Amino acid sequence: MSWLKRKSVLIPIDFSELSYQALGPAKELVEDVSALKLIHVLSPLHPADPAAMWDTLSDDDRKQKVKAFTHDKLGEMGHGELPIEVVIGDPTSKIVDYAQEIDADLIVMPSHGRKGVKRFLIGSIAEQVVRLSHCPVLILK
Amino acid sequence: MKKPMFRLKHYLYAFAFLLIFLPQVAFAQEDAAPVGFLGSIEAGVQSVVDVLNLIFYFKIGGENGMPFIVLWLVVGAIFFTFRLKFINVRAFKHAIDVVRGKYDSDEDEGDVSHFQALAAALSGTVGIGNIAGVAIAIRLGGPGAAFWMTMAGFLGMSSKFAECTLGQKYRVIKPDGTVGGGPMYYLSRGLSAMGLAPVGKALAVIFAVFCAIGSLGIGNMFQANQAFAAVSNVLPFLSSLSWLFGIVLALVVGLVILGGIERIGAVAGVLVPAMAVIYALACLWVMLVKLPEVPGAIGTIIATAFNPEAVAGGAVGAIVIGFQRAAFSNEAGLGSAAIAHSAAKTDEPVREGIVALLEPFIDTMFICNLTAIVIVLTGVYADPTAADLNGAQLSAASFETVIGWFPYVIAVAGFLFALSTMISWSYYGQQSWAYLFGDGTVNIYKGIFLFCVFVGSVVNLGPILDFSDIMALAMSLPNLLGCFLMSGLIARELASYMARLKSGEMLPEPQLAQETVLRR
Repeated sequence: MSWLKRKSVLIPIDFSELSYQALGPAKELVEDVSALKLIHVLSPLHPADPAAMWDTLSDDDRKQKVKAFTHDKLGEMGHGELPIEVVIGDPTSKIVDYAQEIDADLIVMPSHGRKGVKRFLIGSIAEQVVRLSHCPVLILK
Repeated sequence: MKKPMFRLKHYLYAFAFLLIFLPQVAFAQEDAAPVGFLGSIEAGVQSVVDVLNLIFYFKIGGENGMPFIVLWLVVGAIFFTFRLKFINVRAFKHAIDVVRGKYDSDEDEGDVSHFQALAAALSGTVGIGNIAGVAIAIRLGGPGAAFWMTMAGFLGMSSKFAECTLGQKYRVIKPDGTVGGGPMYYLSRGLSAMGLAPVGKALAVIFAVFCAIGSLGIGNMFQANQAFAAVSNVLPFLSSLSWLFGIVLALVVGLVILGGIERIGAVAGVLVPAMAVIYALACLWVMLVKLPEVPGAIGTIIATAFNPEAVAGGAVGAIVIGFQRAAFSNEAGLGSAAIAHSAAKTDEPVREGIVALLEPFIDTMFICNLTAIVIVLTGVYADPTAADLNGAQLSAASFETVIGWFPYVIAVAGFLFALSTMISWSYYGQQSWAYLFGDGTVNIYKGIFLFCVFVGSVVNLGPILDFSDIMALAMSLPNLLGCFLMSGLIARELASYMARLKSGEMLPEPQLAQETVLRR
């Protein structure tokens, strides 16, 4: 069945409990965990955030901290070392762009199962990724 | 490149703290009933206000009683002042020591120093309300309302301490190092630690809803409205072009909060404290020119506080107006400032709470009082020919009697103060929105916010002020309720902090070492 295995799988992580759940199923889809790539999209700091106002937390600092956090968290969860790309901007377009850049052949992300207003506002991120992605997208329910 | 800019900013802020912060704006266009598109926007705002009035403004104690929501704030401020044994007095000197950096430690978690956190919070607190709001209070409640504003500022220091201590204690450090804090977090996390999880969660959501909407009033439409009033006061040809002003202002705010042109934010950050210093100096100048009359003006303020003539609602009316305008100006009890204060680098929640109590002091007891004394001193408020002046225009007219060109300064300062306050409040509103709907959708909120900048510029002051007041005060409902429930915890933390402070163990290492040497 190895011809079904994916060579490059992208998993967007937002550090919610649900987002880690994509790691398990994603691992089964690849031959080697090295085919898994993570991405976390940070929103830009608001100019009135005290850290932005006083320039005490640079974008690079934020990215470094996220990488360190992911390293610890994944280790804790027993997932070992996985590379994570940290970018700043709009979640949908950054996820789709990065998938293209690494030539991913699958994106795996959980559906957050939100209802009502939240679904209307946020559910659309997964939906937008589905619409704009160049490769198949697996949405976990 | 960036470093010198920030050092300059630092000094200017320091100056501003010593002297004053903000102010001004004018009361806007009360003329001609708007028609068409603008008219329908105004009618819409008015109908929202009518409904909110019924809910929050029912009067306790009959016709001339106190509106429920104002009584709530007054009781809250008095409660915390007594419950925490006059923390607003006994921690004052320590607050200044902390702001001076005596207790800063780079090892503590957080993003900015105590001083920087206070400055960030003040840029939202000190707004156009510090000039316009005082004038409104005096116009509606007589000079005595200024006395009650000062009282409210004094008592409000205690509520501010309570909410900012909780904000710091229950903040969340996110994976990227940014801090999530404020009432949403302490209501949900704090009350859940007390076994009241469902209550906490509900209050947090209610607060976030009120704050996201409230930011559109106190921190947006009111600011835009009074900025237009201040500017059109000196550029009369603009008075019929409020839509143009609204579009330009929304564009400028948009450039900052949608990213790209962060320099505008940095520039405003330098100019605002500078303007505040100029404003404070101007107030002092007016007082100097009329020095012999100053004691009389202060006497008038105090005497009319207890014996107001011709004020709707008598003494209670003056108290209500004073407390309402003070809360609007210094945010004590609303909870918003706790969002900014939670970013401070410290492992002692009480310490940042103590820093925060300086805010109502600087904003209300200092700046608002300067404005009030100038208005009463010049007597313009009592001049029958100036009876139609209110808000920023009344302040501008008062200054004009002594410094002829000052309305221009008020226009520039008012614009910048409004701009920086709008940027700060868009952050508070956005944090609340993100708490409700996640980070991914904040651009929707920014869009709503910018639309409201436009609406605030074109609609008359009346409905804007009503809407802004109600939504801002409504934030105090969930916030103070949570603070009441956690007041035992706050008192315990404070007692423990004060005990450790007294023992000297909190002094930074080098000073300890020094003392040891001296003792030998």
